[in-house]
Amino acid sequence: MFKLVRNYSKLSSPKVRQKLTATNTKSPNPPPNELPVFQYPVSQSSDRRVYVWGLAGHGALGLQPPIAKRKKFLFYHKPNRLRFAEQHRVIDIESGYGFTVFAVDSKDGNILWGNGINTDSQLGYDAAAKDPQNVVPLPKPIHLPLKNPSSQVTGLAAGRAHLLVLTTEGLFTLGNNGYGQCGRPIIVDEDYTNNTIVHHIPDIKGERIKSVTAGQDHSILLSESGQVYTFGWGADGQTGLAHYRNEYKPSLVKGDLAGENIVKVACMADCVLALSDKGTVFGWGNSEYGQLPSLVDNHQINIATEIQECRSLGHVVDIAAGGSFCMVLNSDGNVFVWGYGILGVGPAVQRAKEPTMIPATLFGFNAYSRNNRVSQIYCGISQLAAVTDNGDLYMWGCNKFGSLGLGNIEDQFFPLKVAVGAQVKKVSCGVDHTVTLCKPYI
Amino acid sequence: MKSKQPLQLTLAILKPHVVKSPFVLQKIRDLIIDEGFKVVRSRRTIITPMEAESFYADHKEKFFYNRLMTFMCSGPSDIHILTAHDAIAKWRTLMGPTKVYQAQFHAPHTIRGMYGLSDTRNATHGSDSPESSKREIAIFFKEFNIEHWFKNEEIFYNSGNLKFDPSLFIHTIDRTRKINESDQDTTMI
Repeated sequence: MFKLVRNYSKLSSPKVRQKLTATNTKSPNPPPNELPVFQYPVSQSSDRRVYVWGLAGHGALGLQPPIAKRKKFLFYHKPNRLRFAEQHRVIDIESGYGFTVFAVDSKDGNILWGNGINTDSQLGYDAAAKDPQNVVPLPKPIHLPLKNPSSQVTGLAAGRAHLLVLTTEGLFTLGNNGYGQCGRPIIVDEDYTNNTIVHHIPDIKGERIKSVTAGQDHSILLSESGQVYTFGWGADGQTGLAHYRNEYKPSLVKGDLAGENIVKVACMADCVLALSDKGTVFGWGNSEYGQLPSLVDNHQINIATEIQECRSLGHVVDIAAGGSFCMVLNSDGNVFVWGYGILGVGPAVQRAKEPTMIPATLFGFNAYSRNNRVSQIYCGISQLAAVTDNGDLYMWGCNKFGSLGLGNIEDQFFPLKVAVGAQVKKVSCGVDHTVTLCKPYI
Repeated sequence: MKSKQPLQLTLAILKPHVVKSPFVLQKIRDLIIDEGFKVVRSRRTIITPMEAESFYADHKEKFFYNRLMTFMCSGPSDIHILTAHDAIAKWRTLMGPTKVYQAQFHAPHTIRGMYGLSDTRNATHGSDSPESSKREIAIFFKEFNIEHWFKNEEIFYNSGNLKFDPSLFIHTIDRTRKINESDQDTTMI
């Protein structure tokens, strides 16, 4: 309660003040000839809300500090509006294994906040932290060694226990570096608990880093010219560097990516997909469940390889890779899945050897709603998500700890709309929780 | 007079990603205690490549060997000697199938179904037979003498004359309490 009061006093943005006064306008004695005019607060296009759901026990939701009860699991199977995002201008979200980070547009230098598991200092070192278990229940600022006070976060990626923060001053990495996933030399037996190291990678061979992606234990950078650099765990070939070793130096992925302009890289666990500006899909890493279909005999592909099966799908515009399956979206708004798991194309846990289309009607496409097509896709390790032009969120897959947000904990075999009370702009699936960045409807 | 069935020992490892998740670690520890296991020995250590090599000697030819080795040596693991009646089978039932991507659908309420992240990051290990439990205990607890334990200490664990330290997560023998006469007799037979 104390915290709440203090935070309210922080509401310095005039817009927020206005909104508060507008809703609280209640003059005790209104002038006799004047009726009170109630004005609904109308949001601005830059306003954002954050909704969270899934397992709360590890603190990743940033809701009330969970009360530990034996034999009980604290989880939310419905979207919860996050109070933190009402008090701060959240511009980006990212969730790792049991932790969540928020990029915030702020003048006071606290541009990055995080909550959840901090055992490997993936949420930064905090000298004042008292929790012996190293859990941060509510969002707290993560300090980055920035030179310029006006620097902003431009990209985020989180793995099992490491965090990549792309800023206007380059890339900062925090947390576990056991495989070199922070891009610095591996120190044997390094203790990551209360570790103060924040590694800085200003650029990549003089080129600006455009975006960052993280698997559970490896990292992927995309340069401005569309080249892909990886580092971290390579035992499944997930670094795509033609070997299976750990690599701490950001290294160029060659193979079929040579000469291509990559625009997006997707990875959740150990299988990586990359998309070129021409709409060509490439993959490498784990393929135990046929995620890289033409290479069925090899479970671990360490060279970037074109996924030929995607050629017949039209122009691919978005990609997503889960733990044991992959998903692509074409320019017609059609979603295709393959691999193993609850894929959304039938009432069973199944294997699909080739990209299989999920009927568009399942995403709300019908004769009365022709303009609402899927425009973004996302994967958790076992969860799948699609967002339409209108900002409707559909989820399906394994419903561990209610991470699908559908109001139950049953596995969901086809896409179902999640009752998020706002337009969804971005989804970030952790391992057992989900975070969405949304825009108010009105 | 009811004779007491002897206990069985098994080696359990809580793998690096579990040790780094305080919530999951606590849940698994609670489960071990609630299911009636007694914790004979506990240690937290970063498994060395040499230990891992002899531990996973059986898997040397498998495609995932290098992956398993690098994962197991990537951070601290909690290693426990657990005991219970039929401990080996009991612990393996609680763990669930090895492959997490399948276990989460076919055995969703097992440790791996709930807390596994991938087929390699599958939360826990458990010995698969009495022979392998002996071999595995010898790798991680060199000073632990299984025969000596069965001869001198099993009786305390079997009769429940124990103290439990939740922070160290270990049961120690409570010598202040007298072993029930009948218990003593039966184990002597």
